[in-house]
Amino acid sequence: MTQPAIRPKSPVAAHPITSAAIAILVVATIFFTVYVPIYARLTPKVGDFPFFYFYLLIFMPITSLVLWIVVQLQKRLGTPVGNEEQS
Amino acid sequence: MSNVNTTTFTIVVALFVIVTGAGFAAARWRRATDMMQLDEWGLGGRSFGTFITWFLLGGDLYTAYTFIAVPALVFGSGSIGFYAVSYTIMVFPIVLIFLPRLWSVSRVHGYVTPADFIRGRYGSRGLALAAAFTGILALMPYIALQLVGIKAVITVMGVNSSSTNTYLKDLPLFIAFLVLAIFTYVSGLRAPALIAFIKDSLIYLFVIVAVFYIPTRLGGWSHIFGTAQTHFNSISPTTHKPIGTYVPTSHAIGSTQLDFASLALGSAVALFLYPHAITGTLAAKRRSVVKRNMIYLPLYSVLLALIALFGYMAVADPVTAANVKKAGNAQLAVPYLFQHMFPSWFTGIAFAGIIIGALVPAAIMSIAAANLFTRNIFKEFFKQDATPRLQTQMSQWASLVVKLGALLFAVELPQTFSINLQLLGGVWILQLAPMLIGGLFTRWFHRWALLTGWFTGMIYGTICAYNVKNATALHWAASSDIVFGHTIYIGLTAVILNLVVAVVLTLVLKAVRVPEGADETLPHQYTADPEEAPAPVPATV
Repeated sequence: MTQPAIRPKSPVAAHPITSAAIAILVVATIFFTVYVPIYARLTPKVGDFPFFYFYLLIFMPITSLVLWIVVQLQKRLGTPVGNEEQS
Repeated sequence: MSNVNTTTFTIVVALFVIVTGAGFAAARWRRATDMMQLDEWGLGGRSFGTFITWFLLGGDLYTAYTFIAVPALVFGSGSIGFYAVSYTIMVFPIVLIFLPRLWSVSRVHGYVTPADFIRGRYGSRGLALAAAFTGILALMPYIALQLVGIKAVITVMGVNSSSTNTYLKDLPLFIAFLVLAIFTYVSGLRAPALIAFIKDSLIYLFVIVAVFYIPTRLGGWSHIFGTAQTHFNSISPTTHKPIGTYVPTSHAIGSTQLDFASLALGSAVALFLYPHAITGTLAAKRRSVVKRNMIYLPLYSVLLALIALFGYMAVADPVTAANVKKAGNAQLAVPYLFQHMFPSWFTGIAFAGIIIGALVPAAIMSIAAANLFTRNIFKEFFKQDATPRLQTQMSQWASLVVKLGALLFAVELPQTFSINLQLLGGVWILQLAPMLIGGLFTRWFHRWALLTGWFTGMIYGTICAYNVKNATALHWAASSDIVFGHTIYIGLTAVILNLVVAVVLTLVLKAVRVPEGADETLPHQYTADPEEAPAPVPATV
């Protein structure tokens, strides 16, 4: 996808590390649910739950936490900005 | 099942009456000075904070049909049903990328529907019409399926089951829908927003109780999972293959992993292309409200995961499994499970939760469809100078027509037809991704290229879905198809084809300099966060 028109002083360009962190966190969260072979397995069991089911359950609070961090990081970018750096 | 349990029935009716009262009272809740603005009726005045939006979107996205259909799929096929869980996890990081931008630009320009945005971005009435048409087409069967959810509960309750007259048999359904139609007409989006509080409290209550209580009756989780594993690994006498999968299988034994992942990814991208999800989003007060909801909404996914596990509980409970088999309808798995496991008063609470859980999304969906009709068909093509008052009245009536259509769907057509259409609805709505999500980031795509891509995706997706067959059905057997030897979600292949067509044609159309249309949006408007709602849109935008 082509880059959208960026204003002269882009907050993404001004905070490269924060922007990269946001991109990595968002992409990782998506990857670890899309890439099924990571969790399509029976073991190790956690309690009575096979790994597949436990993983899906535990990944939700993790997603919440990661997205919370992402939103906090976005605030550090200064102006409210979308995540165009991920595309 | 001819005798109705009085306790269950009384509790369901009592809770339904409370909800009806709330639906009408909602008209006075957070009242605006002028209710005859489409922003007021159709978007609750764009005034909802984080808390209300959370309940509204939760009530909107996690529908009663989901609560019936996901465990039904798990009951029938095992782990593939958990794609819904995976999808409701990944949807939030995906949506965080583009939804705040859609909120901002809609807020600045006063867009009420996603097609309004398409119209403004590409200066194309035709493309906006395509988006509105797709939205309405996808929403109708979805509303009808909410009725199927209500029907499943009513069937298990045994109301009117002895009657042979279709209309008498569906009387409770008619009453429920009449009430829904009237309070939506009167209160607009405020009604489902208020009722969502009741709905979600009931559902959280019964799911949490069920998750802790039912395993104690069925010999613990280890027994539930053990039974499910044995059941789904056993060989079906008709197809000579395993009945289902206990975890998504890898290549060696016939892959269901790609199917699982593509279904999840496709559904996740599609979810916030649905007009009713966008309606719920645009009702938010500030940009930060949208973002915060992406953080808190995964809590609902926990609920969905637990609900999906009810499918395994139904497998592990011999009485429920036998009942479902006798009825020949997997959709009844959860209602039968509750009826068998819970005392009748608590069954009443659970059933009421499911029925009310159908009313909330049905109301929002009908409002979303009505807004699409009013803004992007009626105003655009029939009455350009429609006043805000006329638009609101038009939407109110359109919401009634939409619901009536859905009611006819649910009563007249076989249930499988609605389910097939809803699966198709997901494929169709996904075809809006290039123009909507693409348009939020770039104006590179040419409007006619997007239109052609959309058309290609719609046709390809529909034909593919039609041609899928299995042991029991000749057509519409599933929403996945085999492409290059891999089973993959049709919606995803269709949208990839859509995107390829759009890219190639854009290059061609740009080369021959076909006019691109005016873009009324500016880059900074996609990140704007205005405190005040936009002034009512003048009649001649």
